[in-house]
Amino acid sequence: MSTNIWVWIAALLSLAIFSYLYKDNPAFRFAEHLFTGLSVGYFIVLYWNNYTLPYIVTPLVNHRWITLIPMALGMMYFFRFIPKLNHLILIPIAISLGFWNGMSIPLTFEADVLKQIQGTMVNTSMLTNIWDPQKGLMVGLLVMVGVISTITYFYFSREHKGPIKVTANVGIWFVMIGFGATFGYTVMARVSLLIARMQFLFTDWIHLIK
Amino acid sequence: MRLKITGLLLMLCWATAAMAASPVTAAPPEAVSVAVIAPPSDIKAVDTPNDAGHAITVSWQASPDEAQKLIEGYEVLRSEISDGEFVKAGYVPYGFTSFDDQDVPANGKDYFYRVRAVGRESQALSAVSNPARASEQWFNTLRINALISCILFTIIVMIFIARARSGQSLFIRRIAGLAAVEEAVGRATEMGRPILYVPGISTIADVATIAALNILGQVAKKTAEYDTPLLVPNKDPVVFTVAQEIVKEAYNEIGRPDAYNHDSVFYLTDSQMGFASGVDGIMAREKPATNFFLGMFYAESLILAETGAETGAIQIAGTDAIHQLPFFITACDYTLIGEELYAASAYLSREPMLLGTLKGQDWSKAIIVLLLIIGLAASLINPGIRVIILQMLRVG
Amino acid sequence: MKRQIPLIIVLTLGIFFFIQFFVPSQISTNIYQTTLQWTLVISAFAIVLAIGSLVNHHMLKIKRRKPHWWNSIVTLVALVVMALLGIFGRVKGLEPLGELYRKLFHYVQSPMDQAMFAILAFYMASAAYRAFRARSQEAALLLISGFIVMLGVIPFGSMIWSKIPDIAEWIMMVPNMAAKRGILFGVGLGMTATSLKIILGIERSWLGGGGK
Repeated sequence: MSTNIWVWIAALLSLAIFSYLYKDNPAFRFAEHLFTGLSVGYFIVLYWNNYTLPYIVTPLVNHRWITLIPMALGMMYFFRFIPKLNHLILIPIAISLGFWNGMSIPLTFEADVLKQIQGTMVNTSMLTNIWDPQKGLMVGLLVMVGVISTITYFYFSREHKGPIKVTANVGIWFVMIGFGATFGYTVMARVSLLIARMQFLFTDWIHLIK
Repeated sequence: MRLKITGLLLMLCWATAAMAASPVTAAPPEAVSVAVIAPPSDIKAVDTPNDAGHAITVSWQASPDEAQKLIEGYEVLRSEISDGEFVKAGYVPYGFTSFDDQDVPANGKDYFYRVRAVGRESQALSAVSNPARASEQWFNTLRINALISCILFTIIVMIFIARARSGQSLFIRRIAGLAAVEEAVGRATEMGRPILYVPGISTIADVATIAALNILGQVAKKTAEYDTPLLVPNKDPVVFTVAQEIVKEAYNEIGRPDAYNHDSVFYLTDSQMGFASGVDGIMAREKPATNFFLGMFYAESLILAETGAETGAIQIAGTDAIHQLPFFITACDYTLIGEELYAASAYLSREPMLLGTLKGQDWSKAIIVLLLIIGLAASLINPGIRVIILQMLRVG
Repeated sequence: MKRQIPLIIVLTLGIFFFIQFFVPSQISTNIYQTTLQWTLVISAFAIVLAIGSLVNHHMLKIKRRKPHWWNSIVTLVALVVMALLGIFGRVKGLEPLGELYRKLFHYVQSPMDQAMFAILAFYMASAAYRAFRARSQEAALLLISGFIVMLGVIPFGSMIWSKIPDIAEWIMMVPNMAAKRGILFGVGLGMTATSLKIILGIERSWLGGGGK
């Protein structure tokens, strides 16, 4: 058994979290509330060190008064508490929305549309190697069938009937095989996290494993 | 409960099996070589295109000794005068034959480069390059295709919005997950239990979050109508302020500002797992009849969805996070996959302009399929056409 | 008017930063950097509101003596203690506070974080069992492909049959890739359309009024 009080605290809190697997109970409730409180406190410190100090305090100390502009915009959030000026809260929100949405359009289009079309195209090396299971022409065609049928599943303008229904169904098979693959691929990563926790409990805490 | 015990046993067997095998790596062979090496040749310097004017791209012919594995890498040296003192600007390992010097002062001056081949025991300095000057550009030519396609897409969407405005009716097929929203709200109302709505755990910079907030507006209108309690825990402070605004406005619009509870939209914590534990707690204690998990999710998706499934809530999830979709699919009653999340706002509001954009998306999909088929046919008939299409799709 | 100003802001900034993406020049990059910093400053104020809401949420629970109200005291105390220790722990002469802050992080917050992550392993199993019980064609496809890929990434898989890793790799590279691309096309168009709707003021639920 460990004699370090901190290790005991860590171990008991880990067990309290695990106890939720059985059902909600006072130990979990305590751990959960402690977790929320501590993590918010932790993030306050993080925000203080990463946002407030470098972007607000330091510029003001160095007389870079331009910082007052975003500060004034940020303070508009507080108009929430003044019913008459309540609508001004939409201004900082509008700034965030405009900035991020404007940028996102070309970025998304490049990454999710153009690059994906490029990747789906049958390439010339496939033509010389028809039956290769990794990069032959048949594989290229299969990928294309998968892509087109999946797109068909997401076509909203027609009811899923007749040929569209058949194609969309093929699409959903591809989607399910793909999801299964992601699921299976993730298992190992999750299990290793569990192993790490078990190692902590059995090694660091009760010294069962040396 | 039985589920969890089975799960536990399975996992323990699994863990034992996984720990059993550990790979053994062989030590690399000791290297032996002493030789004089040849310098790289043909040093060229050009202004790096499509940038803010701080970079020069240097390229060279590899030292012939690279083939004998005598070269470890190349040092790139810069100077203002061709016969002056050269200072190190960067280093690349062997195999590379170019380097972008990103730290060139934007002073309009010419710079010269030399490249030094670095071997284990010796070094060799190249001749001096041509002069080059870093200059800024006003248009990124690598992104011209993205620009054209974005404009085309906007035009297609605009056409359908115009059609919708002129009163043309636009058909959209039934989407199961969205058709279930009304039923899910109704069920909570009947049972007299709250609705839990999690607008993802990402920031406002994620378009998925924005989509989730739009749907929140629609759901809040329904809860306002039926007077069903609504719980909206948030992980991001900015998303929290927007969510609160949206819910409040939804209650105003339905004419029930009195029914709006300021405390129903709240901030929980910025910590991913802290958030998950908090939402678990809410599900265990408040027992919501309906759970919505819409927006951007990461690993916590499965914790939320499995806990919700065990409390017996009807669950509607939706995300474009491809890696989380499998978990939502297995643990939720309905899952909006990718684009369905973005279609939701139009589907639920039946607003003609929003439906118009959805039609625009459908047409664009048809164009993509057409492009893929033409590309395929072209590669089989004449690879030249394929090259042209790929050129059309080139991105920066 | 109340709604016009935010709409104009969204439209102007939206179009500006759309164009900015294509302009690599120095001024353009500087404006981008400055705006990015400004959005950080602006959101710093939202954090104050957010924390206010959390404190208010728990104060109400305590005041109304709601079930398990004393847990709310735990949250509030933990929040205040952690924040004060973290901020004042960096002040000269108060280093022991900083030490305690790090201890609280490593031995209290972090273990709970990792325990929550570890719980995922159990949920993976119960979710797989749920799919197994669903007995639909789709669930069967998901389970079979999941099982093969799972075996493919661990040494145990190749012990059963040497071809399993190859099959797993093929599933990842062919059907999985095809489905992901198909989904990504839709996602890309959906995202672009959503951003476009916000910028052009077609989607206005964030302003209240649900698109009207």
